[in-house]
Amino acid sequence: MNFKSKRVRLGKTSNEVLLSPSLRIDRFFSKPVYRKILDAITLIFFILVIIGPIVNIFSTIILNIPSINQIVFNDPLLGNLKWLRILGALQTSFFIATVAVIFDLILAFPIAIILTRYNFRGKAIIDALVDLPMAVPTSTLGFSLLLFWGIFGITPGLNLIILGHVVFTLPYIVRNMKIVLEKIDVLYEDAARTLGAPGITVFRTVTLPMMKEGIIAGAILAFTRSLGETGATIILAGLVETAPILIVGFRRQLELPSASLVAGILILVSLILLFSIKVITRKVGFPMKRVAPKVEKKLSHKYLRNLRDILSMVILIGFILIPAFYVITQLTGGDFIGELTGEDHKWAFLYTSIVYSIQIGALTVLITLIFGIPLAFIITKRNWGRVITLLDTLLDIPVAIPSAALGFAIFLFWGPAGLGLLQPGFSMILFVHVCFSFPYMVRPIIGVLERSNKGVEEAARTLGASDLTVFRRITLPNIKQGIIAGAIMVFTRSLGETGATIVVMGGIRTVPVLIVDWVEALAWQSAVFASIIVIIIGALLIFALRTVKIKGGN
Amino acid sequence: MPEIELVGVTKIFDEGKVLAVDNISLKIEDGDYVFLLGPSGCGKTTTLRMIAGLETPTKGKVLIDGKDIEGILPEDRDMGFIFQHFEIFMHLTVWENVTFGLEMRGYTKDYIVQKAEEALNLVDLLEYADEFPSIFGNPGLQKLGIARAIATGAKILIMDEPLGSLDPKVSKVFRHELRNLIKNLGLTAIHVTHNQEEAMAIADKIIVMRAGRILQMGTPYDLYENPNSIFVANFLGETNFLQGFVIKLLDNEKMKLWTRLGGPQLISNNFGNKFELDNNIIIAFRFEDAYIFPLNYEFDVSPHDWANIQIFKAILEESRFIGATKRFYLRLDNGDKFIAIKPGTFEENFVPKEEVLVGIHIDDMHLFLAPKNLFHELSLM
Repeated sequence: MNFKSKRVRLGKTSNEVLLSPSLRIDRFFSKPVYRKILDAITLIFFILVIIGPIVNIFSTIILNIPSINQIVFNDPLLGNLKWLRILGALQTSFFIATVAVIFDLILAFPIAIILTRYNFRGKAIIDALVDLPMAVPTSTLGFSLLLFWGIFGITPGLNLIILGHVVFTLPYIVRNMKIVLEKIDVLYEDAARTLGAPGITVFRTVTLPMMKEGIIAGAILAFTRSLGETGATIILAGLVETAPILIVGFRRQLELPSASLVAGILILVSLILLFSIKVITRKVGFPMKRVAPKVEKKLSHKYLRNLRDILSMVILIGFILIPAFYVITQLTGGDFIGELTGEDHKWAFLYTSIVYSIQIGALTVLITLIFGIPLAFIITKRNWGRVITLLDTLLDIPVAIPSAALGFAIFLFWGPAGLGLLQPGFSMILFVHVCFSFPYMVRPIIGVLERSNKGVEEAARTLGASDLTVFRRITLPNIKQGIIAGAIMVFTRSLGETGATIVVMGGIRTVPVLIVDWVEALAWQSAVFASIIVIIIGALLIFALRTVKIKGGN
Repeated sequence: MPEIELVGVTKIFDEGKVLAVDNISLKIEDGDYVFLLGPSGCGKTTTLRMIAGLETPTKGKVLIDGKDIEGILPEDRDMGFIFQHFEIFMHLTVWENVTFGLEMRGYTKDYIVQKAEEALNLVDLLEYADEFPSIFGNPGLQKLGIARAIATGAKILIMDEPLGSLDPKVSKVFRHELRNLIKNLGLTAIHVTHNQEEAMAIADKIIVMRAGRILQMGTPYDLYENPNSIFVANFLGETNFLQGFVIKLLDNEKMKLWTRLGGPQLISNNFGNKFELDNNIIIAFRFEDAYIFPLNYEFDVSPHDWANIQIFKAILEESRFIGATKRFYLRLDNGDKFIAIKPGTFEENFVPKEEVLVGIHIDDMHLFLAPKNLFHELSLM
């Protein structure tokens, strides 16, 4: 007799009545077969929706080598001029991203240390303000920077793009550094102190090696965000062409082969960067063998440290925060009302685009939630060996590749040129947003699941709870914080994304895109008004995220 | 009534790389309070988890009342489980924690209330029913863990280091309460621990495990008085080990031993001629079984009483007073060291670094064939 298929229960007593319906449903669906079905659906979703488009762009390029060759390299009229243009744009993009990340890193170290190791009045406000650019659409930030630096006569161009990219990538690096710094016990640093190491030596030989992973994760994120950014760049670029701008341009002119070539190269280089950095950093450590006690002692002097702190705060406030939110001071009386209620009904556009943005954000949260929780469970709980490692690695890909390129890849995959299942518009925007924000949902859930205690789940099972009851009554309440944090991050990213949206939006406008349109159309007062609205929404989201984190901390 | 039996149970982890439990068989009678005792990594927790259904045996059977329970999920096994780290549902109130298992069994409301109140009463937590468990310290959390496990009416109680997270002093009081509770409820209980003192104090029976195998099982008295291996002798109680070899077989099942490197010569039992001439031997004796006398002690009793006590000289290195007992650190001529303990009230005026006489009763000497690697046998792993 096979007990496995039949559920026998020991110790049944006469006091037992029927289980409540919800428990009976849990018991029924706890059968392994349903778990397998859910796993399968989740994996199919992941492979098709998240990974499929990325794989597809490479096969598209290979299949279209002849036409790419003709259009890009051997145009009858232009020769390889287009290739030179693409090459130039790629070089510009990588140059901007590299410079921005270097600036970020220099600035982020002192800021992260100040925000984790110091206590001062107003720290919470600065902390929230540093995070805020992450929650505000980049086009808003770009517009604000345009207005601010305009005062000093800095016109759109490479310098302004770099300034802009530093503003919106800095939070990613600071955030990651802060997370690792908070985890590192101050006692290690104290131990090094008592052994006679001056401050800088302690940081370099004790703290820094422990921060390695966080710094690298932040740097990769910042680099690829910069590489794929469109919204702010369009506003700040002037005549400079970056790779994402080129993709948007080619896409508008329906030059699909050229666009897919640029997108493919961007994706490929990002992936190579991601994996090589991961491999290299695992093998190479920070230089920490050599110590120059006298020099480092001098460098650790109190005055120098104070100077560093003050300087970094001044740069943070003067070059990052004020320029980023300068736009809120630019609303002038009746002008914006006149512009918004003019003949072209801008207020109506604003209203519908806000509705679209919120709808897309909410649906993105819902879909990433539905598939994100099972995937997080698969990655943390199944012992499928190498398959899990692979899934874990694949999960980073949507974050690591520039969003404009990702948007184009999805357009190619689902759109008329590919499967033909979707037209540019609402549902395609949704697919794009689900794709690039999926990891933002899954990662925090994996985090809480890994930290969550397997013992309580076992306790619940020995008390008679079926798998699903355990999930509903025990696991879910314990990982709630991670899920909410993930949901807010996904909503934030969805609300702020510009480049990927432009590529697939068809006739629909989300707020960030609308701001780009209005800035280009010189309807600045309306753009200012829209910017203020999104900054307020962003601030609320950051506030919500913090409340969740604080609750989770207790 | 529940009776647990394991037949040839084996558990291999990590695709054949780790043999956690190696072909063990045991039987636990109804109403017994049995301890699985062993150093960490000996497979005792894995054995427990296989009984509870949290792990599946690679080979072998788990029988409850003679019935194979393979394939029955942990939620259907109706066993109470108590965890080292309590695993209390911190997001539920004390009451909700205790009623959880009852609710899962689909009992009526009235019955749930009755049983939960009974269980909370048994551990004196009823007044905290509406609080969240975060108000408790470790002892309170474990009391709740116990209430939660027994509330369901399970007749088998499984405990994985239930006192391991408690302060040593608290745990000494707590363990007797735990035993009383189990005995009053008439449960069949399995208790895993690495703490030999805890096992000796409250077990009906102890099963000593090492490296996935069962070394010995029996009552605390059996195990203490008749350890079947160097490991058990070492693990239970405090024991000295001296090395020596057989130099002469005597009649009436006795033999003459010579300790290592020209140490003292001793007469000992030869348990049914178990040992032969020239065998290398390990002589084990408890700290409390070594008597010490001043060098000029006059054994003024008739020789007959002393016939079974082996007397030899040793140097007293140091003596320490630790309250209830005194410890004497001694050294033989050959450099081997051993310890003797006496009650704290023991009056002595020994001079450190001087010679004393040591006496051991012949029946207090446990003899084992010398293993290839004594250090390995004595390591608590």
